[in-house]
Amino acid sequence: MKQLLTLKRLIARIGLALVVLAAVMGVCSLIGTEEVSLKAVFAGPGTRTTVNPDYDIFIRFRLPRIILAGLVGAALACAGVVFQVILRNPLADPYILGISSGAGLGVIIAVISGLNWTLWGRSPIAVFAFAGALGTVWLVWFIGRLTGKFHVTGLLLAGVVVNAFFSALMMFLTSVTKSDQVYSTIFWLMGNITEGDFLVLWIGAGCVVGGIVALFYLGPQLNALSFGADDARSMGVNVARTRTIAFGIAAGITAVAVSLSGLIGFVGLVVPHGVRLIFGPDHRQLLPLSGVTGAAFLIVADTLARIIVAPAQLPVGVVTAIVGGPFFLILLIKYSRKVSWLT
Amino acid sequence: MSGIIEVENLSFGYTSEATILRDMSFSITPGTFVAIAGPNGAGKSTLLNLICRALRPDSGTIRIDAAAIESYSTRALAAKVAVVRQELAPIFGFSVMETVLMAKTPYYDSMGFESRVDRETANEALEATDTAQFASRPLASLSSGERQRVFIARALAQNSLIMLLDEPTNFLDLKHQVGIYDLLKVAQVEKGKTIVAVTHDINLASQYCDEILLLGADSSYHIGKTKTVLIPEQIKGVFDVDVFVGRVGKEEFFIPLGKFAKNRGKTNKEAGNI
Amino acid sequence: MNKWSLLLLIISCWTAVGAVISGTRQGHGDSDTPMPDRVNRIVSLAPNITEILFAIGLRDEIAGVTLDSDYPPDAAAKRKVGTFWQPDIEAVVAARPDLVITLGFEQQRNLAERLRRIGYKNLIVNIEKVSDLFKAIERIGDVTGGRQQASELTNRIRTDLQRLTARIASEPKVRVLWVVQREPLRVAGRDTFINEMIELAGGENAIGPTLHKYPPIGSEQVVACNAEVIIEPTMGRQDIDNQQNGAMQYWSKFKRLPAVANRRIYVIDGDTVSRLGPRLYEAAEAIARCLRPHIFEN
Repeated sequence: MKQLLTLKRLIARIGLALVVLAAVMGVCSLIGTEEVSLKAVFAGPGTRTTVNPDYDIFIRFRLPRIILAGLVGAALACAGVVFQVILRNPLADPYILGISSGAGLGVIIAVISGLNWTLWGRSPIAVFAFAGALGTVWLVWFIGRLTGKFHVTGLLLAGVVVNAFFSALMMFLTSVTKSDQVYSTIFWLMGNITEGDFLVLWIGAGCVVGGIVALFYLGPQLNALSFGADDARSMGVNVARTRTIAFGIAAGITAVAVSLSGLIGFVGLVVPHGVRLIFGPDHRQLLPLSGVTGAAFLIVADTLARIIVAPAQLPVGVVTAIVGGPFFLILLIKYSRKVSWLT
Repeated sequence: MSGIIEVENLSFGYTSEATILRDMSFSITPGTFVAIAGPNGAGKSTLLNLICRALRPDSGTIRIDAAAIESYSTRALAAKVAVVRQELAPIFGFSVMETVLMAKTPYYDSMGFESRVDRETANEALEATDTAQFASRPLASLSSGERQRVFIARALAQNSLIMLLDEPTNFLDLKHQVGIYDLLKVAQVEKGKTIVAVTHDINLASQYCDEILLLGADSSYHIGKTKTVLIPEQIKGVFDVDVFVGRVGKEEFFIPLGKFAKNRGKTNKEAGNI
Repeated sequence: MNKWSLLLLIISCWTAVGAVISGTRQGHGDSDTPMPDRVNRIVSLAPNITEILFAIGLRDEIAGVTLDSDYPPDAAAKRKVGTFWQPDIEAVVAARPDLVITLGFEQQRNLAERLRRIGYKNLIVNIEKVSDLFKAIERIGDVTGGRQQASELTNRIRTDLQRLTARIASEPKVRVLWVVQREPLRVAGRDTFINEMIELAGGENAIGPTLHKYPPIGSEQVVACNAEVIIEPTMGRQDIDNQQNGAMQYWSKFKRLPAVANRRIYVIDGDTVSRLGPRLYEAAEAIARCLRPHIFEN
């Protein structure tokens, strides 16, 4: 027996989720390969002659890294929610329309084209990844539209084709380039969370949180869209506008996430389903709660990645895959019995 | 009196070679219950989709409530026209109440939530369709007939002038078939809605509908009062099947006659029925 | 103002504020100051750098090494700061280094940059060619106050190498195929320090100039290269005899190759030869032994 969602209930649930997230962040910030004492942290940053490693580790490495993991997790989870409803496909994830291969191609091009130039002292890889991701999404959207007004199957096929083509292009470039930096590209592609610098984190936070709030505004329209475009239109929802805006924002925050941390899989697929199972499909609730859950999920995964094989580190994508893979299989079995893929 | 739905010289085909609807013109009076019937492929659902603007005509005009259909925003059109399609089980599990409330989506407040008035409207719609007891159950857990009533409730909650339904009783048992048509008739009589329903069942159409639009597979059409249009010659011409017409009191009913029908060969007069 | 414009406004303000704050932040320590005079705690992020530090007498000053720094054996006792491919930046910081020494490739450069931004001094040395090695040893010596030991080390290595080349100067060059990996088959090309070692040891690379440093090659090129000697460095701590047998079996299909016909396939210890470090002479000598066993039979 379900209760109806009201603004009050929603705010309470989001509040509770945020408290849990804060707790997770707190606990994870104290876990790592090094012992850090909070008391030492509060002593403040060291000077040139007396360094305070506890402060440095905690404030300059752990905290930014945790914040970054949280942002990427939230972005991927929310993007996953949106793609699943727009494509009416429970197996959709944020990379389904070519974002992953586009970002990877962007990175390889950046690496090959002479990698010594910097953007305000920072590597241009992130920018190229972002541009590659967005450019590819636009391309897939464009190709999809050629197959008819809005044909979901057409869009998905365009995504598959572009993905395959760009991946092949990437492999080609990898094998003919002389550059040794190709190895770092492959490493980047596996997804890893490193503490970004302040400005990058700040702007990233603005984009991701802003994007999630914007998607929340579209919650009711996304609910209507769950019943199909025709039904939604009959109820007075401007389907084309909703799709375009939601798609654009979801692709945007995914591109931001990918440029910050490489390709981390399974978060965008698994978290929306988990949250939907517990809280139901109402997008006004699903979106913010998926964001918070995605953040917590990736923070925990990253913490595990940091400590399981210490002193080495696992790429965080490995941890999410180990958790997410079996979950995905379960989903596949559950849904393929229930549903015929509706377009 | 101008019609609430006015169609002029409407033509449409899914491809340029196959025109399904050719040069149709008709007008539907406000507050009537109209049935659209015809053989498979005649274009009944197509016509419905054109009237609710899910499709655009190749030529001709459609006017809803005296304004051209293109002039409406999506939201404004939804205030005039509500559609009940053949029901599909949704992928994600919304409850009955949540489903019905979605009719009010364009009117939610700035945070995206429905008001108390919206909830009351939804409750009334649930009462009217006898589905109030399912309010908090997931939509997918209802039977076909119950789900269909919920979608009608949603259309009612939309408070529109016109309701379009595409084969609303297709998979329903007898009780529910009659139940739904009763419901629609009540909506027409008590709320003054204009109802347009695509149906295969000419008997129900004859029982409930004021007017009927017969679509032929050859793009021909006949519209008029049910009694005038539903006559054996017309039915034979459109459906290419003989019918036996019977009367019970004021009700007429039609039974299609196949090769093995027992009274075949005698005309209706000879059979002593008319 | 509708909620969309409000949201856009907030994001713009947020970005502007961020730009302002970012402009005023600093780490501890000015990153442009010169290297410190006294370097008491050094972290090395590569195994060959560790070897260099030990070799110029800085054993006590080493505060952290990577997991794969396994030579000399004393390095095992040092605090670990992750692996060569994935250094653990937290561990590096916890070791309180005065100086962090890294190699020049992308990942390590990134790490060094991150450390520099919060005020940790670092030195980046490129060790890709033999000449790089000498420069690196001297640079490290300069920075750590071990200038004299550094010079002694480089001189010793140079002298040893000269002696080696003199011994074999009159001999004809031996064609060597250096196999880095068997499946798929990859060899060391001409643009590598391995090639330099081969030449120091009196050989020449059987493979001509290639695009990649360690190119994958096909059977055709193997047959065409006409190698007289095949050398395979071991990977890891596997039994050398086992690997030797495996190698003999694998190469037996290239019967026409002089190296196979004369059974001159050598599996040698990978540790010394795969790392460009202070054991350069030992590596070159090991290779020379393979190329001309008769000269080194004493």
